[in-house]
Amino acid sequence: MNTSELNIPSTQSTPAIQGDWQTGILAMQGDSYPENSFELFDQVIQWVERYLNDEARPLKLELTLLYLNTSSIKAMMDIFDLLEDAHQQGRSVSVNWHYDNRNERVAELAEEFREDCTFDFSILAFEE
Amino acid sequence: MESLDLLAMREAYNRQRVMLCFNGPISRSLIEEIGTALRNYLQADQAKPSAAMDVFGVYIEMTQNIRHYATQQGFNEQDASATVAIARDEDNHYVVSSGNLVMLEDGRKLVAFVETLASMDKAQLKAAYKEQLRKPRTEGAASGAGLGLLDIARKSSACLRASLHEQTDGKAFFSLSAVI
Repeated sequence: MNTSELNIPSTQSTPAIQGDWQTGILAMQGDSYPENSFELFDQVIQWVERYLNDEARPLKLELTLLYLNTSSIKAMMDIFDLLEDAHQQGRSVSVNWHYDNRNERVAELAEEFREDCTFDFSILAFEE
Repeated sequence: MESLDLLAMREAYNRQRVMLCFNGPISRSLIEEIGTALRNYLQADQAKPSAAMDVFGVYIEMTQNIRHYATQQGFNEQDASATVAIARDEDNHYVVSSGNLVMLEDGRKLVAFVETLASMDKAQLKAAYKEQLRKPRTEGAASGAGLGLLDIARKSSACLRASLHEQTDGKAFFSLSAVI
Protein backbone atom coordinates (compact mmCIF):
# COMPACT_ATOMS: atom_id res chain seq x y z
CA MET A 1 0.00 0.00 0.00
CA ASN A 2 1.16 3.50 -0.79
CA THR A 3 1.76 5.06 2.62
CA SER A 4 1.47 8.54 1.09
CA GLU A 5 -2.27 8.14 0.61
CA LEU A 6 -4.76 8.54 3.39
CA ASN A 7 -8.16 6.91 3.07
CA ILE A 8 -10.24 6.55 6.21
CA PRO A 9 -13.88 5.51 5.88
CA SER A 10 -16.49 7.24 8.02
CA THR A 11 -18.15 5.70 11.08
CA GLN A 12 -21.18 6.86 13.04
CA SER A 13 -19.02 9.26 15.06
CA THR A 14 -16.06 9.96 12.76
CA PRO A 15 -15.73 11.64 9.35
CA ALA A 16 -14.50 10.15 6.09
CA ILE A 17 -10.97 11.40 5.39
CA GLN A 18 -8.97 11.30 2.14
CA GLY A 19 -5.46 12.60 1.71
CA ASP A 20 -4.31 12.69 -1.92
CA TRP A 21 -0.55 13.18 -1.97
CA GLN A 22 -0.31 13.80 -5.74
CA THR A 23 -2.87 16.60 -5.89
CA GLY A 24 -2.06 17.89 -2.40
CA ILE A 25 -5.69 17.77 -1.32
CA LEU A 26 -6.86 16.67 2.11
CA ALA A 27 -10.62 16.20 2.30
CA MET A 28 -12.95 15.41 5.20
CA GLN A 29 -16.71 14.92 5.26
CA GLY A 30 -19.22 14.32 8.04
CA ASP A 31 -19.59 14.52 11.80
CA SER A 32 -16.75 14.08 14.26
CA TYR A 33 -17.47 13.27 17.88
CA PRO A 34 -15.30 10.34 19.00
CA GLU A 35 -14.43 10.18 22.71
CA ASN A 36 -10.75 10.49 21.97
CA SER A 37 -10.32 12.37 18.72
CA PHE A 38 -6.53 12.03 18.67
CA GLU A 39 -6.86 8.25 18.11
CA LEU A 40 -8.26 9.29 14.73
CA PHE A 41 -6.60 12.64 14.01
CA ASP A 42 -3.01 11.79 14.98
CA GLN A 43 -2.57 10.01 11.62
CA VAL A 44 -4.07 13.01 9.80
CA ILE A 45 -1.79 15.42 11.66
CA GLN A 46 1.19 13.21 10.75
CA TRP A 47 0.11 13.12 7.09
CA VAL A 48 -0.04 16.94 6.99
CA GLU A 49 3.35 17.24 8.72
CA ARG A 50 4.93 14.76 6.28
CA TYR A 51 3.41 16.43 3.23
CA LEU A 52 4.52 19.91 4.29
CA ASN A 53 7.97 18.57 5.10
CA ASP A 54 8.54 16.43 1.97
CA GLU A 55 6.79 18.47 -0.70
CA ALA A 56 7.05 22.09 -1.81
CA ARG A 57 3.68 22.01 -3.61
CA PRO A 58 0.53 23.72 -2.26
CA LEU A 59 -1.70 22.00 0.28
CA LYS A 60 -5.45 22.42 0.03
CA LEU A 61 -8.08 21.30 2.55
CA GLU A 62 -11.61 20.62 1.28
CA LEU A 63 -13.86 20.27 4.32
CA THR A 64 -17.53 19.38 4.56
CA LEU A 65 -17.46 18.79 8.27
CA LEU A 66 -20.65 19.22 10.29
CA TYR A 67 -20.79 18.76 14.04
CA LEU A 68 -17.47 18.59 15.91
CA ASN A 69 -17.18 17.79 19.62
CA THR A 70 -14.62 19.75 21.65
CA SER A 71 -12.10 16.91 21.38
CA SER A 72 -12.29 17.08 17.56
CA ILE A 73 -12.13 20.89 17.61
CA LYS A 74 -8.84 20.63 19.51
CA ALA A 75 -7.47 18.22 16.89
CA MET A 76 -8.61 20.42 13.98
CA MET A 77 -6.99 23.41 15.66
CA ASP A 78 -3.69 21.49 15.67
CA ILE A 79 -4.05 20.90 11.92
CA PHE A 80 -4.80 24.59 11.23
CA ASP A 81 -1.80 25.56 13.40
CA LEU A 82 0.43 23.46 11.12
CA LEU A 83 -1.02 25.23 8.09
CA GLU A 84 -0.51 28.62 9.74
CA ASP A 85 3.16 27.83 10.47
CA ALA A 86 3.66 26.71 6.85
CA HIS A 87 1.96 29.87 5.60
CA GLN A 88 4.26 32.02 7.77
CA GLN A 89 7.18 30.29 6.04
CA GLY A 90 5.83 31.28 2.65
CA ARG A 91 4.08 28.03 1.72
CA SER A 92 0.83 27.99 -0.23
CA VAL A 93 -1.91 26.53 1.95
CA SER A 94 -5.67 27.01 1.82
CA VAL A 95 -8.93 25.80 3.31
CA ASN A 96 -12.36 25.59 1.69
CA TRP A 97 -15.04 24.81 4.26
CA HIS A 98 -18.36 23.93 2.61
CA TYR A 99 -21.62 24.05 4.56
CA ASP A 100 -25.34 23.59 3.97
CA ASN A 101 -26.85 27.08 4.05
CA ARG A 102 -29.73 25.82 6.25
CA ASN A 103 -27.33 25.21 9.12
CA GLU A 104 -25.56 28.43 10.12
CA ARG A 105 -23.98 26.69 13.15
CA VAL A 106 -21.48 25.04 10.83
CA ALA A 107 -20.53 28.42 9.33
CA GLU A 108 -20.08 29.83 12.86
CA LEU A 109 -17.86 26.90 13.80
CA ALA A 110 -15.72 27.42 10.68
CA GLU A 111 -15.59 31.17 11.35
CA GLU A 112 -14.13 30.61 14.82
CA PHE A 113 -11.29 28.62 13.28
CA ARG A 114 -10.77 31.22 10.56
CA GLU A 115 -10.35 33.99 13.17
CA ASP A 116 -7.02 32.46 14.19
CA CYS A 117 -5.70 31.91 10.65
CA THR A 118 -4.07 34.37 8.25
CA PHE A 119 -3.92 32.02 5.24
CA ASP A 120 -6.60 31.71 2.55
CA PHE A 121 -9.66 30.30 4.38
CA SER A 122 -13.04 30.30 2.58
CA ILE A 123 -16.40 29.41 4.09
CA LEU A 124 -18.74 28.46 1.27
CA ALA A 125 -22.50 27.87 1.45
CA PHE A 126 -24.16 25.28 -0.74
CA GLU A 127 -27.85 24.52 -1.29
CA GLU A 128 -29.07 20.94 -1.09
CA MET B 1 -38.96 -6.19 45.69
CA GLU B 2 -41.13 -3.17 45.13
CA SER B 3 -42.84 -3.59 41.77
CA LEU B 4 -42.03 -1.00 39.14
CA ASP B 5 -44.84 1.45 38.59
CA LEU B 6 -44.29 2.01 34.91
CA LEU B 7 -47.47 4.01 34.57
CA ALA B 8 -46.30 6.47 37.24
CA MET B 9 -42.93 6.75 35.46
CA ARG B 10 -44.66 7.33 32.15
CA GLU B 11 -46.96 9.95 33.61
CA ALA B 12 -44.04 11.75 35.26
CA TYR B 13 -42.10 11.78 31.96
CA ASN B 14 -45.12 13.00 30.03
CA ARG B 15 -45.90 15.69 32.58
CA GLN B 16 -42.30 16.96 32.42
CA ARG B 17 -42.28 16.61 28.62
CA VAL B 18 -39.31 14.25 28.59
CA MET B 19 -38.54 13.21 25.00
CA LEU B 20 -35.79 10.79 25.83
CA CYS B 21 -34.15 9.58 29.00
CA PHE B 22 -31.64 7.03 30.14
CA ASN B 23 -30.37 5.72 33.45
CA GLY B 24 -27.58 3.19 33.78
CA PRO B 25 -23.98 2.37 32.91
CA ILE B 26 -23.07 4.27 29.76
CA SER B 27 -20.67 3.00 27.11
CA ARG B 28 -19.10 4.62 24.09
CA SER B 29 -21.48 2.83 21.71
CA LEU B 30 -24.52 3.58 23.88
CA ILE B 31 -23.70 7.32 23.74
CA GLU B 32 -23.69 7.04 19.94
CA GLU B 33 -26.90 4.99 19.76
CA ILE B 34 -28.85 7.27 22.09
CA GLY B 35 -27.39 10.23 20.19
CA THR B 36 -28.74 8.86 16.91
CA ALA B 37 -32.17 8.32 18.49
CA LEU B 38 -32.04 11.89 19.81
CA ARG B 39 -31.24 13.26 16.35
CA ASN B 40 -34.15 11.31 14.87
CA TYR B 41 -36.52 12.67 17.53
CA LEU B 42 -35.32 16.22 16.93
CA GLN B 43 -35.86 15.80 13.20
CA ALA B 44 -39.36 14.38 13.77
CA ASP B 45 -39.97 17.27 16.17
CA GLN B 46 -39.01 19.62 13.29
CA ALA B 47 -36.31 21.33 15.33
CA LYS B 48 -34.28 23.88 13.37
CA PRO B 49 -30.97 22.38 12.17
CA SER B 50 -29.01 24.80 14.37
CA ALA B 51 -31.09 23.98 17.49
CA ALA B 52 -30.87 20.26 16.77
CA MET B 53 -27.09 20.53 16.48
CA ASP B 54 -26.85 22.46 19.77
CA VAL B 55 -29.00 19.93 21.65
CA PHE B 56 -26.99 17.06 20.21
CA GLY B 57 -23.69 18.82 20.97
CA VAL B 58 -24.66 19.49 24.59
CA TYR B 59 -25.76 15.87 25.00
CA ILE B 60 -22.42 14.63 23.59
CA GLU B 61 -20.27 16.91 25.77
CA MET B 62 -22.23 16.00 28.92
CA THR B 63 -22.11 12.25 28.39
CA GLN B 64 -18.48 12.20 27.23
CA ASN B 65 -17.51 14.27 30.28
CA ILE B 66 -19.22 11.66 32.49
CA ARG B 67 -17.41 8.81 30.71
CA HIS B 68 -14.01 10.54 30.95
CA TYR B 69 -14.50 11.26 34.64
CA ALA B 70 -15.64 7.73 35.53
CA THR B 71 -12.68 6.26 33.60
CA GLN B 72 -10.22 8.65 35.21
CA GLN B 73 -11.57 7.77 38.68
CA GLY B 74 -11.59 4.04 37.95
CA PHE B 75 -15.26 3.84 38.97
CA ASN B 76 -17.00 0.47 38.79
CA GLU B 77 -20.00 0.01 36.49
CA GLN B 78 -22.48 0.94 39.23
CA ASP B 79 -20.74 4.20 40.13
CA ALA B 80 -20.12 5.03 36.46
CA SER B 81 -23.86 5.15 35.77
CA ALA B 82 -25.27 8.24 34.13
CA THR B 83 -28.76 9.70 34.27
CA VAL B 84 -29.62 11.69 31.15
CA ALA B 85 -32.86 13.38 30.08
CA ILE B 86 -33.83 15.58 27.17
CA ALA B 87 -37.11 17.48 27.63
CA ARG B 88 -39.05 20.56 26.49
CA ASP B 89 -39.81 23.37 28.90
CA GLU B 90 -42.94 25.57 29.03
CA ASP B 91 -41.43 27.96 26.46
CA ASN B 92 -40.73 25.01 24.14
CA HIS B 93 -36.98 25.26 24.64
CA TYR B 94 -35.03 22.02 24.76
CA VAL B 95 -33.58 21.17 28.16
CA VAL B 96 -30.66 18.74 28.31
CA SER B 97 -29.87 17.37 31.79
CA SER B 98 -27.40 14.85 33.08
CA GLY B 99 -26.34 13.52 36.45
CA ASN B 100 -23.56 11.28 37.74
CA LEU B 101 -21.62 10.37 40.85
CA VAL B 102 -18.50 12.41 41.57
CA MET B 103 -16.11 12.69 44.50
CA LEU B 104 -17.57 15.30 46.86
CA GLU B 105 -14.60 17.67 46.47
CA ASP B 106 -14.73 17.47 42.67
CA GLY B 107 -18.46 18.10 42.83
CA ARG B 108 -17.96 21.26 44.84
CA LYS B 109 -15.37 22.50 42.33
CA LEU B 110 -17.74 21.74 39.45
CA VAL B 111 -20.61 23.66 41.05
CA ALA B 112 -18.27 26.61 41.70
CA PHE B 113 -17.07 26.48 38.08
CA VAL B 114 -20.66 26.45 36.77
CA GLU B 115 -21.40 29.47 39.00
CA THR B 116 -18.38 31.27 37.52
CA LEU B 117 -19.67 30.52 34.02
CA ALA B 118 -23.09 31.93 34.97
CA SER B 119 -21.46 35.29 35.76
CA MET B 120 -19.87 35.54 32.30
CA ASP B 121 -21.40 37.02 29.18
CA LYS B 122 -21.10 35.45 25.71
CA ALA B 123 -17.91 37.35 24.83
CA GLN B 124 -16.21 36.32 28.08
CA LEU B 125 -17.30 32.71 27.57
CA LYS B 126 -15.82 32.76 24.08
CA ALA B 127 -12.52 34.18 25.34
CA ALA B 128 -12.33 31.58 28.13
CA TYR B 129 -13.20 28.83 25.65
CA LYS B 130 -10.48 29.87 23.23
CA GLU B 131 -7.96 30.10 26.05
CA GLN B 132 -8.86 26.59 27.26
CA LEU B 133 -8.62 25.29 23.68
CA ARG B 134 -5.05 26.63 23.46
CA LYS B 135 -3.86 24.78 26.57
CA PRO B 136 -1.57 21.81 25.84
CA ARG B 137 -3.30 18.45 25.51
CA THR B 138 -1.98 17.00 28.75
CA GLU B 139 -2.90 20.09 30.73
CA GLY B 140 -6.32 20.10 29.09
CA ALA B 141 -6.86 16.48 30.08
CA ALA B 142 -5.95 17.19 33.69
CA SER B 143 -8.42 20.03 33.94
CA GLY B 144 -11.08 17.57 32.78
CA ALA B 145 -14.51 18.95 32.19
CA GLY B 146 -13.41 22.57 31.56
CA LEU B 147 -13.62 22.77 27.77
CA GLY B 148 -16.81 20.70 27.59
CA LEU B 149 -18.55 22.85 30.20
CA LEU B 150 -17.48 26.05 28.44
CA ASP B 151 -18.85 24.67 25.17
CA ILE B 152 -22.15 23.74 26.86
CA ALA B 153 -22.41 27.20 28.45
CA ARG B 154 -21.85 28.83 25.05
CA LYS B 155 -24.61 26.75 23.43
CA SER B 156 -27.11 27.50 26.20
CA SER B 157 -29.66 30.30 25.95
CA ALA B 158 -29.89 30.55 29.77
CA CYS B 159 -27.37 30.05 32.57
CA LEU B 160 -26.44 26.45 33.34
CA ARG B 161 -27.94 25.04 36.53
CA ALA B 162 -25.94 22.68 38.70
CA SER B 163 -26.68 20.94 41.96
CA LEU B 164 -24.91 18.56 44.28
CA HIS B 165 -26.41 15.97 46.65
CA GLU B 166 -24.10 14.26 49.10
CA GLN B 167 -24.09 10.47 49.02
CA THR B 168 -22.15 7.83 50.98
CA ASP B 169 -18.39 7.07 50.67
CA GLY B 170 -17.32 10.68 50.13
CA LYS B 171 -19.26 10.85 46.87
CA ALA B 172 -22.01 13.13 45.66
CA PHE B 173 -24.55 13.18 42.85
CA PHE B 174 -23.79 16.06 40.50
CA SER B 175 -26.50 17.20 38.14
CA LEU B 176 -26.30 19.73 35.37
CA SER B 177 -29.01 21.24 33.20
CA ALA B 178 -28.74 23.36 30.06
CA VAL B 179 -31.55 25.16 28.22
CA ILE B 180 -31.06 25.46 24.46
